[in-house]
Amino acid sequence: MQTSFIQKHLNILDYALSSLLRRKLKNGGIALIFSLVIFLLASFQFLTQSLETTAEKVLVFAPDITLQRLSAGRQVSLPDSSIGSLAGIFGIRQIIPRVWGYHFDEKNGANYTILGLPADSIQKAEVSLSHGRLPQKKKPGEVVISSSVRASLELGERKSFTLFRSDLSQASFTVVGIFTDNTDILTGDTILMNLQDARDLFRLGDGMVTDLAVSVTNPAETDTIAAKISGIMPDTRILTNSQIRKTYRTVFGWRSGFGSVCLLTALASFVILAWDKASGLSQEEKREIAILKFLGFQINDILALRFWESIAVACVSFLLGLTLAYIHVAFFEGSLFTPILLGWSVLRPSLNLDPAVTFADLLLVFSYSVLPYLAATIIPAWRSAVIRAETII
Amino acid sequence: MRPSTRFALLLLFILTVDALLLQVWMAGSGERAEATKQQQATASTLGLTDLCVATEARYTRHPAASDPIAPFMDHPGAIEHFPSGSFWRPPASTISSGG
Repeated sequence: MQTSFIQKHLNILDYALSSLLRRKLKNGGIALIFSLVIFLLASFQFLTQSLETTAEKVLVFAPDITLQRLSAGRQVSLPDSSIGSLAGIFGIRQIIPRVWGYHFDEKNGANYTILGLPADSIQKAEVSLSHGRLPQKKKPGEVVISSSVRASLELGERKSFTLFRSDLSQASFTVVGIFTDNTDILTGDTILMNLQDARDLFRLGDGMVTDLAVSVTNPAETDTIAAKISGIMPDTRILTNSQIRKTYRTVFGWRSGFGSVCLLTALASFVILAWDKASGLSQEEKREIAILKFLGFQINDILALRFWESIAVACVSFLLGLTLAYIHVAFFEGSLFTPILLGWSVLRPSLNLDPAVTFADLLLVFSYSVLPYLAATIIPAWRSAVIRAETII
Repeated sequence: MRPSTRFALLLLFILTVDALLLQVWMAGSGERAEATKQQQATASTLGLTDLCVATEARYTRHPAASDPIAPFMDHPGAIEHFPSGSFWRPPASTISSGG
């Protein structure tokens, strides 16, 4: 009984595949468009998922609490004497004052992120460098840069370069180390220097810092400590580690402009496909069904035939689209999307995307693509199955 | 050969390519783990709060740590003009439902 059921459906599948091959131009075209739609959806999903995963893995090591002062809705510098006012809070392990900001290189339009840390903190930093060393305490002007920044500054073999301060005077720097390319996703545009050098470059007053990075002894108490800090310094914005990670969990998504464009493209393609399927059967197709009915095919057999046809097209398109999407993201860094993702950025750090494909990703792409396609073929399949054979021949 | 057998062979071929890709991915797992360790150490000791993806605007370079009103800052209701902003989801408060 079971063997005959399988045999019957194998025969129907054989017939369905032969039928698809007889109209190979039309069905090949549908499979190609379908594969492209799945490729687009899956590429977007793999790309954003990969960035979210990297953020989740890495930013769990971001500061437990970041303290910034806001004035008129904008971030402004704060005095490092604020550290003293937080001394009484039990559970704070360390507070590191930081000066950071952006430097626009007018020569080539690149934006560099300048990061200034106290010399003691830099000396303790476990930063991987491809070569060189970290800036030393009593040597002003020493910096570590990324290889992208080095290329952007067109340093070549030179070690020294200058940046303009806001009053157009020049600050000189010496490159003493280069960040490894493995950390490009964090430091691709960064120039690391001592706190005093960063203050001098940004013309910040003595004792002024951009923000405070607070480490807590017990991460479970982060929210309590953040609330206490907020009570002592009500004019500050307090970012906890969990808020930073939450930002990255939600920042890339289907509601973004590009996500919507991808989704709308996919939906538009499905409308075309559904229209194609539902727009009525050709005379040849009607004759074929009539002959099948004369030969003894029942309505459920014709439905099974149409079902296997749809499954065959969907299977090949799904696998092909997914495979191409994986190759696109893993080996070509999502090169079709990165021009939009990076926008007008002059510095384009290597993303080193690592799409760990999960069952949830596959299910999402399947639900957005294959299920609507199968749903779109149900009514046309029924219409073809109920044709009265004697009215055709 | 039956058409269904040829079809099964085609699917098998694509799945074999997928298996090879998986093999390549697994072969690089040691290097990736090392790179992740370096990134974690860098983020931890330099206190970095954001990924360096788009460097064109401060709110795309540091979406977590830049001031929250920076996007759409030209005037109220201004449309986002940096291309990379189109990859970013609008704030939850501006959309009626989650997702």
